[in-house]
Amino acid sequence: MSQTFTVAIGGAAGQGVATPGDIFAKIFARRGLHVNTYNAYQSIIRGGHTFLTIRTGVEKVANMGDRIDLLIPLNQDTMDRHLRLLGPGAAVVYNSDSIQPGTAADGVQLCPLPVSQLADVTRNKVAQNTVAIGASLSMLGVGFQPLEEALTEQFKKKGDAVVAENAGVARAGYQYATEHFRPFSRPLPMTENRYAVVGGNMALAMGGVAAGVKFYCAYPMSPSTGVLHWMAAHARKAGIMVRQVEDEIGVINMTIGAAHAGVRAMCATSGGGFALMSEGLGMSAMIETPVVVINCQRAGPSTGVPTKTEQGDLWQMLGAAFGDYPRLIAAPTGILDCFKMIPEMFNLADRFQCPGLVLCDLLLSEGRLSVDPKDLDFNAPIDRGELITSPDGANGDYKRYRITESGVSPRAIPGVPGCIHTAATDEHDEDGVLISDEFTNPIKRRAMMEKRMRKCSGIEAAVPPPRLEGPRPADVTLIGWGSTQGVIQEAVEILNEQGIPANYLPIRWLVPLKGDAILEILRDCRHTIIVENNYSGQFARYLRSETSYVPNGHIRKYDGEPFMPHHIVEAVKEQLAGTTNLSVPMHEIMV
Amino acid sequence: MSTTVTPPPRKVNRIGLDVLSYKGGKTTLCAGCGHNSISERVIECFYELGVEPWMVTKFSGIGCSSKSPAYFLNLAHGFNGVHGRMPSVATGAMLANRRILAIGVSGDGDTASIGIGQFMHLLRRNLPLIYIIENNGVYGLTKGQFSATADLGSKLKTGVINDQPPFDCCALALEWGATFVARSFSGDKKQLQAILKAAISHRGLSVIDVISPCTTFNDHEGSTKSYAYMKDHDEPVNEVDFVPHFEDISVEIPEGGVQDVRMHDGSLLRIKKLGRDFDPTDKLRSLTELHQAQQRGEVITGVLFVDTGKPDFHDMLHMVEEPLATLPESRVRPPKAVLDQLMEELR
Repeated sequence: MSQTFTVAIGGAAGQGVATPGDIFAKIFARRGLHVNTYNAYQSIIRGGHTFLTIRTGVEKVANMGDRIDLLIPLNQDTMDRHLRLLGPGAAVVYNSDSIQPGTAADGVQLCPLPVSQLADVTRNKVAQNTVAIGASLSMLGVGFQPLEEALTEQFKKKGDAVVAENAGVARAGYQYATEHFRPFSRPLPMTENRYAVVGGNMALAMGGVAAGVKFYCAYPMSPSTGVLHWMAAHARKAGIMVRQVEDEIGVINMTIGAAHAGVRAMCATSGGGFALMSEGLGMSAMIETPVVVINCQRAGPSTGVPTKTEQGDLWQMLGAAFGDYPRLIAAPTGILDCFKMIPEMFNLADRFQCPGLVLCDLLLSEGRLSVDPKDLDFNAPIDRGELITSPDGANGDYKRYRITESGVSPRAIPGVPGCIHTAATDEHDEDGVLISDEFTNPIKRRAMMEKRMRKCSGIEAAVPPPRLEGPRPADVTLIGWGSTQGVIQEAVEILNEQGIPANYLPIRWLVPLKGDAILEILRDCRHTIIVENNYSGQFARYLRSETSYVPNGHIRKYDGEPFMPHHIVEAVKEQLAGTTNLSVPMHEIMV
Repeated sequence: MSTTVTPPPRKVNRIGLDVLSYKGGKTTLCAGCGHNSISERVIECFYELGVEPWMVTKFSGIGCSSKSPAYFLNLAHGFNGVHGRMPSVATGAMLANRRILAIGVSGDGDTASIGIGQFMHLLRRNLPLIYIIENNGVYGLTKGQFSATADLGSKLKTGVINDQPPFDCCALALEWGATFVARSFSGDKKQLQAILKAAISHRGLSVIDVISPCTTFNDHEGSTKSYAYMKDHDEPVNEVDFVPHFEDISVEIPEGGVQDVRMHDGSLLRIKKLGRDFDPTDKLRSLTELHQAQQRGEVITGVLFVDTGKPDFHDMLHMVEEPLATLPESRVRPPKAVLDQLMEELR
């Protein structure tokens, strides 16, 4: 991994951690640097502890990294918790009016800011934040102008006086740091690129726009709420009907109703809401109406830890709703993939007329990433599958659930003369008439089950197999799924740099799993370790159930926080040394 | 001797369809089930009003009631959802395609027990949906357990006495936002016809609670949802007559003591007071009447509330006229200018 720089800002909820974070991210991205942010926060409106890390670098940055270079504590609690994380070359910038530094490691620069002398703190409640941003950018060798621009955009709605006030405060901090503090040894680089900063939930919502979604509804639930917020804010302009619904039972049924009427319809929730949706998912499977449902996982079970990340819902997704039916499940491997996956999932759900489930998690949903705007393709191909929307599509003897070789039957929307039918959640005949009613007719039931399940082979063929990434042969192969790809990739780079040949197999599609292809890849791997953010090794158990494959070891984490690269690197080393085959790294940052 | 019989001219409605075009499949419900009478009324009303059946979508949940859409309007699309979830399915479908003419059929279990949450939230929406509750106080398909509309003290065939008071779906509908609320009895053909026709003409949510006796599980002595009980306790609060906008015929009810309500499509609903001074545009008065009737053990029927002045859900949401569901693929994504603006926000 090339050089990166990480700023961490911490304080109580309500102290304004988010705004400096936004400003740093914006300035870095405009400088042509990549950015990744992760916010560790709690389920509290005021108080508690919020800790935002913003990591930047010339090359892609896909995780929070291992090191904090600049700490900005907005209260004493943050200083006390995190000063010990800083190593030589790092700095801590703080308001010396209210915060006392503790004992720092050798080589850590303490940068006290006399905020009350630099700003009128009676007028500006967040003056310490603005002063600290100014000071930090000075130490990073960034000119003042980008900050002035960012502040102008941030405060322009409040009028010129507020803009001028904040710019003045920032400049005071900037100048004070120039005069009093040692700049960082490497000034922040700059490139010709210009990136956009996109959050995972935003990316999921925009992916919906790219897919041509016309109906979105949800019940607010962390960490999926950002999708609803984005959709609601852009509904009118983007021409999307967006509804906040009374509960997730209503959400899934409304989504299916809309999809059945012919639009592309989507909803997002977290594990608890998804549990309520499972009845509805069965309905979408039975009436063969495609919907896309996003589950942004939080730590469970039950209400669990609403603001923490986990990959603990895999088996819930695999087993959602009773009975056998074809489904699609995929886990985006990064924030950009959140965007790309939605049109892809809709195309497959439409083609195979079954539910498409997107298994995201808090790490991606609430994280933010620099993205090259060119990579956000709003003209992705749209494939609605066999959809009849006008009488021209009717072909004489229409049967909604016609038995076909592929298992897919042409789907007519309501109101198309010649294609009138009833969609029913009871088992039905080819023409939609219930067979559960008078006598079930085992032959018809079997034929309908087989028709629906035949879609599975089409689905299997439509999805690409996973690919092994990195050098080969290697001493160790790391297997991960979904959001861990970024951190695994970096851990593999570090291992290779340290002379341990390593590669990795990122899994994106969970159903279909492409088990044969995975076995083919893993057959030649010397030592395999599955990395996942849960207690029981949900993916490891799934892989074994589908392929009988048993890896050599496991790295798991279920403390609510994401993996950091060194967690994986150290675990791999202990496992290669034969100490253990199950590592559960300790999260050192107390958040 | 042979005679040639000339068939009588085929009787058709104003759009040239005969009544067969409005029929459904053969019922599988029990002989004498009130639900079958309701299906008959639905067929007659859509036929007589000349509604294009393929423009109609029938929504239902689960239960005997929810099977009945199969027994009317074969030419209409059907959506037979899971138990108690019809309100949100209908909402989603109607938002996706606002041209859908929607009729929903539910029962007392589907609405007042498992679906009460969905029903309550539907009431807030004034969705232009005809919501019929085929109310018999019991679960027929699972062999006759009480539902949440069974009256306190009502007796099951097995002798079990109901120990909880009922939900009155009309009172709920009145209180929480339905703009057309009526109660009827499956055995009162004339009243139910007029109410259904008015509901078809109404632009907004119509809730029609129809007491529809279950001949198998709830038609005995001690039941308050039996034919016999209804014959004795049905207290119509008004007599209603419906004159469709396309017909120029005299109203059966003479002038005097009547209230005329002009429906959205120009049809006329003439409501004649019966006995008491009942005003179906006075929501609070209607609620009081419902409470008092409950105390007397009476079932008041008729048009309980009508408000043609409120915007329907589509208007409340400022929906575009063009249905989202039939937008051509070239227009399902926002135009370039909007996308450019989205990207600008990110920098």
